[in-house]
Amino acid sequence: MIVRSVLRRLLTAAFLVFAVVAATFFLIHLAPGDPADLMAGDAPTPEFRAEVRRAYGLDRPVPEQFLTFVGKAAQGDFGTSIYYNKPVFQVIWDRAPATFLLTGSAILLATFLGVLLGVAAARRAPGKLDTLITGGSLIGYSVPGFWIGQLLVLLFAVELGWVPTGGMISARSHYTGFAYLADLGRHMALPVFTLTIFMAAMIARFTRAAMVEAFDQDYITVAEAKGVSPGRIVWHHAFRNAVVTVVTVVGLEFGAVLAGALVIEIIFGWPGLGRLFYDAIYRRDFPLLTGSFIFTSIAVVIVNALTDIACAALDPRVRR
Amino acid sequence: MTIVAETAISESGMIARPRRRRRGSGASLSLAVGCVLIAFVLAGVLLAPWLTGAKPLALGPDTLQAPGWAHPMGTDDLGRDVYARVLYGGRVSLMIGVVSAAVGVALGTTIGLIAGFVGGATDEALMRFTEAFQILPRLLVTIVVVALLGGGIGKVIMVIGFLSWPATARVIRSRALVLRSEEFMAAAVLSGASWLRRIVRHALPNVWGYLLVSASLQVASAVLSEAFLSFLGLGDPDRPSWGFLLQQGQLFLQQAWWLTAFPGLALAMIILGLNLLGDGLATNAARRGRR
Repeated sequence: MIVRSVLRRLLTAAFLVFAVVAATFFLIHLAPGDPADLMAGDAPTPEFRAEVRRAYGLDRPVPEQFLTFVGKAAQGDFGTSIYYNKPVFQVIWDRAPATFLLTGSAILLATFLGVLLGVAAARRAPGKLDTLITGGSLIGYSVPGFWIGQLLVLLFAVELGWVPTGGMISARSHYTGFAYLADLGRHMALPVFTLTIFMAAMIARFTRAAMVEAFDQDYITVAEAKGVSPGRIVWHHAFRNAVVTVVTVVGLEFGAVLAGALVIEIIFGWPGLGRLFYDAIYRRDFPLLTGSFIFTSIAVVIVNALTDIACAALDPRVRR
Repeated sequence: MTIVAETAISESGMIARPRRRRRGSGASLSLAVGCVLIAFVLAGVLLAPWLTGAKPLALGPDTLQAPGWAHPMGTDDLGRDVYARVLYGGRVSLMIGVVSAAVGVALGTTIGLIAGFVGGATDEALMRFTEAFQILPRLLVTIVVVALLGGGIGKVIMVIGFLSWPATARVIRSRALVLRSEEFMAAAVLSGASWLRRIVRHALPNVWGYLLVSASLQVASAVLSEAFLSFLGLGDPDRPSWGFLLQQGQLFLQQAWWLTAFPGLALAMIILGLNLLGDGLATNAARRGRR
């Protein structure tokens, strides 16, 4: 059973990756103007344009171009960045760790906080603490993350000067070892916190709903009657049934977190994929833009497939 | 944001089984606060010409002035009045939000009703497609499409609208599945009503409540998507929205806090208001549904 459900998820994931690559191809062709112009950048020399045309097989029939595009993408060849004059994949690969450090830390922190808050709210539902946490989480995911980021920069970096206004490590510094980590941490604090707010609010909300439902089940009454301690009921009996919800939300919101990281990186000058995306839009570096898009979409699809599989492993009822 | 619409509804028991414990005043409180916030922002945006004499695009001699009597929210780097820019910017943000949400909700309702009522292989295919579609990072797709195809308000509306149908489709489909087995639907079939009539006259009135919930949450999400696009420089400089103002504010963040604080506050207020409204409506609809 579990093998079948894993296979099904992998199949969906493969289909989605193909769909993203195909959609990107058609977008490039739908865009106003000649795709060669799009890929060669603004005002190319006629020779360079002809070269791009040949290199991408743009002088060939469209179906053949499509196969070439998909084939190249499958090999990790997303073309050459106009601005960096390097293979797109390499440019992305150099930047990806910074983004994954940012999003990974935010997801870990948000899951921890979100679960704690969600469980606390559900235990006291209905009540003052519940209303406070529910209302707080509603505000947390309603207020645009990039605005919160800007306000935090104003308060903690500009006004109070506790942390740097941006960047990943101090320029012209050659910290090593612990000092390097401390410097990195000081730069990370605000962007990670900004990303965490939205995500934690989301997780708290879903955790609360799942826990309230779990608390209503008969097995909780049975556990209470048996004299099981409250802590054990919450974590061992109820939370075990809510954990699938938490994993699902984390997986589903991964895409939103990456998109959120995009603007957060701009605000905090974080040298990751988001910054790359932004610069690609500004410099009209379309190979880099479409390449970054395919890359992040694949990351999102993979994370979703993994969370689905994790859910199936955690809860036999999810396996269909 | 995509899954918020569904959860607001499932959390309140529309899909999940009814819970024993239930909050009484929560729904009316969120409805009240939500309506007040929305009314406040709407009033400012609609009454803009009466609230300020300044024009949002008119340049002035006083550049980067802090808020004061002459300019309640200060001025930007070209001496334009921020108060006027926030009020008129809301028109752009809200117009894009409302129209694109309407596109998304209409599309989602159509797909949801078809999936729910036709059932079988059609339902299976549509729902598989919807689920797969939901996995894609919607905001990134929106950004890439607009960056490649070019901006302009019409295109932005269509792109946001067309990409936002899944949440509505799933909610409406689950309602359609319930409605399909209702007696009055069987009676409609017996009385010889065509399938179009059955859907428009008998099914649609029964999903209005859910559509309202979907719509308010979708407007919130669309306004936010537009702000994202504009913040990335994909907005229209001749019709600056709140997101566009925030992008400008980012350039002068360390010199002029007012360029960032006020447009963001307006954005936060309307999104919070709409989410509160959606939440409250969902709870109310669920309560009515159980009676």
